[in-house]
Amino acid sequence: MKIQKRKNKKNSNPLTDNMDISQRYHEVEKMKLVPSLDQNLNTLQQVCGYSFDVKVRKFTIGLKAPAAIVYIDNMVNKSSVEEILRALAIDTRKIEDRKDNHKLLKSTIKDLITVNDVGETDNIGELFSKISIGNTALLVEGQVKAIICDTFGLQLRSVTEPDAETTIRGPREGFVESLFVNTSLIRRHIRVPHLWIEMVEIGSLSKTMVALAYIKGLADEKMLEELRSRIKRIDTDAVIESGFIEEFIEDQPFTLFPLVLRTERPDKVCSAILEGKAAVLTSGTPHALILPAELPMFLMAPDDYYEKMPMGTFIRMLRWFAALLSVFLPGFYVAVVNFHQELLPTALLLRVTATREGVPFPVVAEVLIMEILFEVLREAGIRLPAAIGPAISIVGALVLGDAAIRAGIVSPAVVIVVALTAISNFSTPAFSMAIALRIVRFIFTILAAVFGLFGMQFGILMLTVHLCSLRSFGIPYMAPMAPFILQDMKDSIIKTWSWDKQTRPKLLGKREPFIQRPGQKPHPGKDDRQ
Amino acid sequence: MPANSFPKTTTEKIANRQLLFMLFMMRTTVVIAFLPVLTSADAFQDAWAAAIMSFFGAALLVLVIAGLGVKFPELTAVEYAQKLIGKWPGKIISLILVWAFLVIAATDTRIYAEALLTGFLTETPLPFIVFMMVIAGSIAAYSGLEVIGRAADLLFPVFLAAIVLSLVFALPDALLLKRNLEPVLARGIGPVLRGSIIPIIIIAQYLALTMVIPAANQPGKALGTALWALTGSSVVLVLVSLVTTAIMGPDHGSRLVFPFFSMVRTLNISIFLERVEIFALFAWGFGIFIGVSVFMYCGSRAVAQVLGLHDYRPLIGPLAVIWGTFAEHSYQDMFQLRTFFQPKIAGPYALSWIVIPMGILWAAYGIRRLTGGKPDEK
Repeated sequence: MKIQKRKNKKNSNPLTDNMDISQRYHEVEKMKLVPSLDQNLNTLQQVCGYSFDVKVRKFTIGLKAPAAIVYIDNMVNKSSVEEILRALAIDTRKIEDRKDNHKLLKSTIKDLITVNDVGETDNIGELFSKISIGNTALLVEGQVKAIICDTFGLQLRSVTEPDAETTIRGPREGFVESLFVNTSLIRRHIRVPHLWIEMVEIGSLSKTMVALAYIKGLADEKMLEELRSRIKRIDTDAVIESGFIEEFIEDQPFTLFPLVLRTERPDKVCSAILEGKAAVLTSGTPHALILPAELPMFLMAPDDYYEKMPMGTFIRMLRWFAALLSVFLPGFYVAVVNFHQELLPTALLLRVTATREGVPFPVVAEVLIMEILFEVLREAGIRLPAAIGPAISIVGALVLGDAAIRAGIVSPAVVIVVALTAISNFSTPAFSMAIALRIVRFIFTILAAVFGLFGMQFGILMLTVHLCSLRSFGIPYMAPMAPFILQDMKDSIIKTWSWDKQTRPKLLGKREPFIQRPGQKPHPGKDDRQ
Repeated sequence: MPANSFPKTTTEKIANRQLLFMLFMMRTTVVIAFLPVLTSADAFQDAWAAAIMSFFGAALLVLVIAGLGVKFPELTAVEYAQKLIGKWPGKIISLILVWAFLVIAATDTRIYAEALLTGFLTETPLPFIVFMMVIAGSIAAYSGLEVIGRAADLLFPVFLAAIVLSLVFALPDALLLKRNLEPVLARGIGPVLRGSIIPIIIIAQYLALTMVIPAANQPGKALGTALWALTGSSVVLVLVSLVTTAIMGPDHGSRLVFPFFSMVRTLNISIFLERVEIFALFAWGFGIFIGVSVFMYCGSRAVAQVLGLHDYRPLIGPLAVIWGTFAEHSYQDMFQLRTFFQPKIAGPYALSWIVIPMGILWAAYGIRRLTGGKPDEK
């Protein structure tokens, strides 16, 4: 870049400083490469400005053909780039020395490059978007096409277990920020050519790569068509994380509940793909999207499948119970203490009343104060640097919990209720669902304070209607409970034995309903019987 | 694949199973609330026999109501009425159905509100409870029949579990007090027949079938579905009336307002759980909700078809206001509501909802059949 002289800029620069981004964008999209190498490099310099990380290196192929490679520092694998340079600048010189025909040389430049994925482009905008993911562009004097070589060598985070989705048993790998690593993690599990991974670019400025993975012939074509059209409809500047895509493609924006499941675990993505679902992977984030997603999916954890059936079923039912508890418990407490004291055994009622002695607030205020306080604590806990994490737990547990009771601001029963609710909420595996349940809990608390248990009944009815009216890519959100599908109940609140689950989910996997041969129940061999 | 979550009205489909759940809950809620077999006449300890009798009478009326729907599996009553007896007469006949839906929805809502007011929220003004249920039902009806069907799928297990658990926990007491059921049929068949009139008449609720049969997955089997729902709810009614009569006693029980809930109130589950009738009432409210949202849907759908509108949803708001007002002002108090459920008042009134429109339509169907014309063409 530094070779370029400033005076050239005045003559041929279509880009001026007072052009806005959209004008600049369209201007660059139109730019084509020309035969003159110097002019090309000049244009590139104008397009990139003085970005120090865009490296240009000029050299000569053989003895006569000037050429240059363009790459972005620290994104390429240095040894790959050196290999290209050696092959083109040094090895060809030896050929020239032996007086070989130099016409032959030009046609075989591509053959001389030993790195993978050799492509071509004649567009400046495309050239730049290629080198910005770690490719190296080769420009040769007299050629209007740049050769793109794959020299990807960015430093990546290693594949580790995701912090937010840990399991006791099961694979310890999680997605990383690189799309290519992530797709390879999926391919490793599903080793057939029928796993198709389509690529689209979203975001006019970010040019984020988004991959759509599914099994051809298993995923519903209509669903895929709808998904593709929804993804292509996204017209925005930038997509930084898959959360942006999620909000653009979900069926119903006005709901608290997540209609797309996001995960960092390749095994979760693979099992969803094998059910006939699709996954959307986004470059730059470890969070993949699985869709369509039904509500029971958000309460499933990989452990359920890896443990034996009775434990899997038990922990899953426990999780459902905890989820219900985390929504209804504060409201139920408020309703019972305010309206329906007769539900409590007399001894317990007397105790609750005694502990409330001297508390200046009504029950609902007590509960809401503690709930909000806890939400703040939880949020602070996430934002805090790990080093001062213990400090917040001391402040939270001792100062607020203990001191609030001693000071008579809240009663111990409320602290128990709030703590139990919070712990129950943590057992929901999907964070997006847990956060939705947290908000619904407040609505139920207020309804209970106004109408008692019948306010909660009203809330439950509204929640039921709302959940039943939701769809995720055409699939009813509450399936297989509503609509009730008997065969799918084997893997919903309960989880049956692996050999007993013979069918895919009815609404999704109808193209190939069976996953295995029936009658594989294990039994002892004949010789083992005594 | 609908891009939005509200599919068009005409394409809505519910499974026959969902229809069964809806019909079951719709009927069971009302027949076990007042327990009219016990309270509406002088059947006393033979209430269970009245419950059995009511099954046969009701089944007959189901045939009358749903029979035509099965003959026109793709049409609602409003549509086939216009086919059978002409456009304007058909529309006028349909208005009787609309009226029936409105009155039934309002009465169901009022029963729910009174049950809450007498037992729990004694200080709460009636309109609050009525409008809470009206809002819930309207939103469900607005979301469409598919959503109501799915909600029925979700709520049915809760509803059934509450009734079954109540009965199971009541069983020891009932066995202890089974002398209350004697003497069996000592006063002849007269009181039994009188006791069965109101539960038979409550089958007018199944007029909803005339509107929802075209939405069923298998409209041809809708009649069977309705009869199964009736059978299920009759079994529940027989068991509930047996247990309630045994525990509360025939005399005392027949004077109670909500005998079933009073019976559940007496139960103790082990030594620390008492007064569990609130959970029974809770689950019962789910059933009422399914019932009223179906009536709301049927009513607004019928009005929309009479007026020739494509979408029934804009009508739900105005109808909900009328419905709520009806629920509040039709009955002055609990006792007027109870008087309404007397054989000589509700009997002829509700029977006319079934007999007048269905009688005319069946007659027209029969005449067309006899004169050789194909009734389903025109």
